[in-house]
Amino acid sequence: MIGAVRRNAELGLLVLGTMFVVGAYVLTTLPDDSPIPNTTGPFLAIIVGLPLLAHIAVRRFAPQADGMLLPLASLLNGLGYVFVVRIDEARADPDGLAGLQSIWMILGVAAFIATLVVVRDVRVLERYRYTAGLVGIVLLLLPLVPVLGRTINGSKIWVSIGPVNFQPGEFAKLALAVFFAGYLWEKRELLAINRAYGPFSLPDPKHLGPVLLAWGASLVVMVSERDLGSSLLFFTLFLVLIWVATERVSYLAVGVLLFAGGAVFAFNAFGHVQERVDTWFDPWGKDEGYQVVQAAFAMADGGVSGTGLALGSPTKIPVVESDMIFAAIGEELGLLGATAVLIGFLLMIGAGLRIAQQSARGFERLLAVGLTTLLGFQAFIIMAGVVRLLPLTGVTLPFISYGGSSLLANYVLLALLLRISHDTGQRQAERLVAQSVTEVVA
Amino acid sequence: MSKQIRNIGVFLAVCYAALFLQVNRLTIFEANELQDNPANTREVERDFSGPRGSMITADGVVVAESVPSNDQYELQRRYPTGPLFAHVTGYFAFELGATGLERTYNDDLAGRTLDLDLQEISDLFVDRERVGDLTLTLRQDVQEAAAAALDGREGSVVAVDPRNGEILALYSNPTYDPNLLATHDFNRAEADSNRLTADPEKPTLARSYQDTFFPGSTFKVVTASAGVERGGVTPDEPDYPVREAYQPVTPSGQPQGRPISNFGGSSCGGTLFPILQASCNSAFAEMGSADVGADGMIDVAQAFGFNQDVPIDLPRPAQSSFDTEVDGTPLEQNPAVLAQMSIGQNRVRATPLQMALVAAAAANGGEIMTPHVVREVRDDQGEVVETAATDDVWTRAMDGGTADLLREAMISVVTDGTADRLDDGLESFVVGGKTGTAQLGTTPPRSHAWIIGFAGPENEPPSVAVAVIVEGQEGASEQTGGRVAAPIAADVMRQALEQPVVPADQEAGDADGQQ
Repeated sequence: MIGAVRRNAELGLLVLGTMFVVGAYVLTTLPDDSPIPNTTGPFLAIIVGLPLLAHIAVRRFAPQADGMLLPLASLLNGLGYVFVVRIDEARADPDGLAGLQSIWMILGVAAFIATLVVVRDVRVLERYRYTAGLVGIVLLLLPLVPVLGRTINGSKIWVSIGPVNFQPGEFAKLALAVFFAGYLWEKRELLAINRAYGPFSLPDPKHLGPVLLAWGASLVVMVSERDLGSSLLFFTLFLVLIWVATERVSYLAVGVLLFAGGAVFAFNAFGHVQERVDTWFDPWGKDEGYQVVQAAFAMADGGVSGTGLALGSPTKIPVVESDMIFAAIGEELGLLGATAVLIGFLLMIGAGLRIAQQSARGFERLLAVGLTTLLGFQAFIIMAGVVRLLPLTGVTLPFISYGGSSLLANYVLLALLLRISHDTGQRQAERLVAQSVTEVVA
Repeated sequence: MSKQIRNIGVFLAVCYAALFLQVNRLTIFEANELQDNPANTREVERDFSGPRGSMITADGVVVAESVPSNDQYELQRRYPTGPLFAHVTGYFAFELGATGLERTYNDDLAGRTLDLDLQEISDLFVDRERVGDLTLTLRQDVQEAAAAALDGREGSVVAVDPRNGEILALYSNPTYDPNLLATHDFNRAEADSNRLTADPEKPTLARSYQDTFFPGSTFKVVTASAGVERGGVTPDEPDYPVREAYQPVTPSGQPQGRPISNFGGSSCGGTLFPILQASCNSAFAEMGSADVGADGMIDVAQAFGFNQDVPIDLPRPAQSSFDTEVDGTPLEQNPAVLAQMSIGQNRVRATPLQMALVAAAAANGGEIMTPHVVREVRDDQGEVVETAATDDVWTRAMDGGTADLLREAMISVVTDGTADRLDDGLESFVVGGKTGTAQLGTTPPRSHAWIIGFAGPENEPPSVAVAVIVEGQEGASEQTGGRVAAPIAADVMRQALEQPVVPADQEAGDADGQQ
């Protein structure tokens, strides 16, 4: 019953979102001379077909799942795709990124469906938590392997295998979320025991091991891969999960102190960290600040309602298609469009946390919290970097930025959240049925 | 666990609220500041490929327009009259920026002013190009006459309507072709720009209003005004003695400096009219330095607009100067210098525009109207959205009575004095003027040939005032101004006094060339 309502709502929202995306695409591509661009057919197939496929898969494999996440994700993904198309056009680059991005979208939805099909029960993942942890760390450190690793735009977060480049960090974060959720749920009681040190009450040092491990790993990432954003994301993920699992504020306090200490150390010890922070405070007239300065100019041009789709000049911002895409949205759709994106992510965060709250099983709760934090906080880190609320760190804007690794990873993340949501709904439905059967029998 | 999850929600909501505030800051509160940041080239580039209004002369000739180009910028700025109006229109270029009216009226031309915006709201759904077209006060025929009369010599011609401050011609040579700098071939534009900048003649400098010169004897009109208002000079007295030179003296009677001699060692003297007709140096040197004194000369020169920024609607006009100090000592302690300044030498410098306004003051009852080159701004429908004031007084140079007296005196300079060639072909009009030969102190002697003047129908206020300077003429005779500059001024005034061919409003509206 609930499932049917949710699925119909999901379909309705998908239709609304798709209509918006199609409208935006038309506005982006039509003002030019050609009456109907010849890419329109494939575009419609992707923008209408993919969400529909995903929706059918959810109906088939997770009918009781939350109905808001998929429409929101496909709206943001569609919006991002329109901007990738638009940026191609501004660069007058017919074999630009849009074609590749549509392939990534197809692969993303395929990964989404595959995850729903393969992971029929999230508890399977709980069993492989240590494997997941190992995989996560290997993935995280993969870019440091001499032959495989590649440095693009100053960050050593890429791995090349043959012709394929990908960012293993995007997948590492999923594996680590599974590991953290499983490990912390298992050890929560041990970790929750505090010992008094004078006025302070701290966890037993021997259980602090994992915290220190996570801290160390995030420092390694920050320093050796020059990836401040990801290290902040991993550390936040771990902190959030240990706090939720143990309900001990002391972990938060220790974690924040550790992070602050690490940050100060990194600032003093490494030139590139210092440079980032300097640029953050004063980007004007510096080569390193060019990106955020151009982003600010773009936003200022956008104003309340934006310059209008295809009427701005987003290509003045370096790397606008991935890290800086939020600035392009701010420029062409203005404060209104940027706020819509913020609301979109907030709604996804809300839906994700609701899934966590409703779930009755600890591991699933923790995993849902972790996945939601990854999504919401990663989006925050990069958008905050673009608008200079935080130092700019190169992470992608989930679902919107151009990029295969990010898109694939986030569709898998989405599928996992829906799987958890479905499990919870399924159990509730079974309980209701059992109750009513009991009542009838009685 | 529930509590923690809720708090995570709160934490992320706070993060996003901060994001929202920061986006507000960038898009609204700091937007203007960011757009004005010198590093921000977006506005320039947008204007560059955006529609842009035309400039049309008062007699309907397009002097600046945007025409379709077959490149990424879509529109190419074009100046159909080439060098003729270059110092007025300026140029609008990608990397070199904008000068002239392209600069001062950039917002109007790009359609960004309030008047044009307000209409934009009501026309939201109509596909039209919301730009402003400028109608100039300048007339192509008068400008052409100025260029033709100057005939390639270095110099400037300024013609202004004394009654309302409308500038009819503003030409100086050397000039340049703005099309060279506005081209989308940026490498060529830069090469041409470098060449023009390196040229010692500075062709991009509008000498007519951006450069100053010794005004020479044309400045005697100002001295005469000071004499009447501050030195007790009337048509009848004083009667300056006929002599070859005047020896400046300090207030206590001590001689100071070299004597001020008349041209070619000749002798002259007399009352106001004869000394103006003869351009008598000895008499005006005495009038300025002894009868008026430093304070009076400074006050009157400043009343004429010296030492003030001229409020013209063109960028970076030069200030005409009448120094109040000489190497740190007040002018009143330097009667020798003041005597030279009284005949337009030494520490007095004027733009040709300023000298045209001196003539205009005499022609217009003592008032100098605010000079301007743009008459009105029209939107793309031909509706007037902005009009320049025609009754705006920039400065009162002198009393009406003084002005009437000087006007008569200047008319007599044409009938009986050095400016006798100023009314060639203008016999049916009333013409007044004053010649000038500003010595440059070079060997062999060279000088700037000047003339200022006005003309109009009998019994009506003069409708045109001019200043002409031809630079670096050989010789230093007082005759130079009358011989070289007067015919140019006569040609220009003759053209200006012909009824202009005023185009119908509709034509002006259609001539924007945007289609």
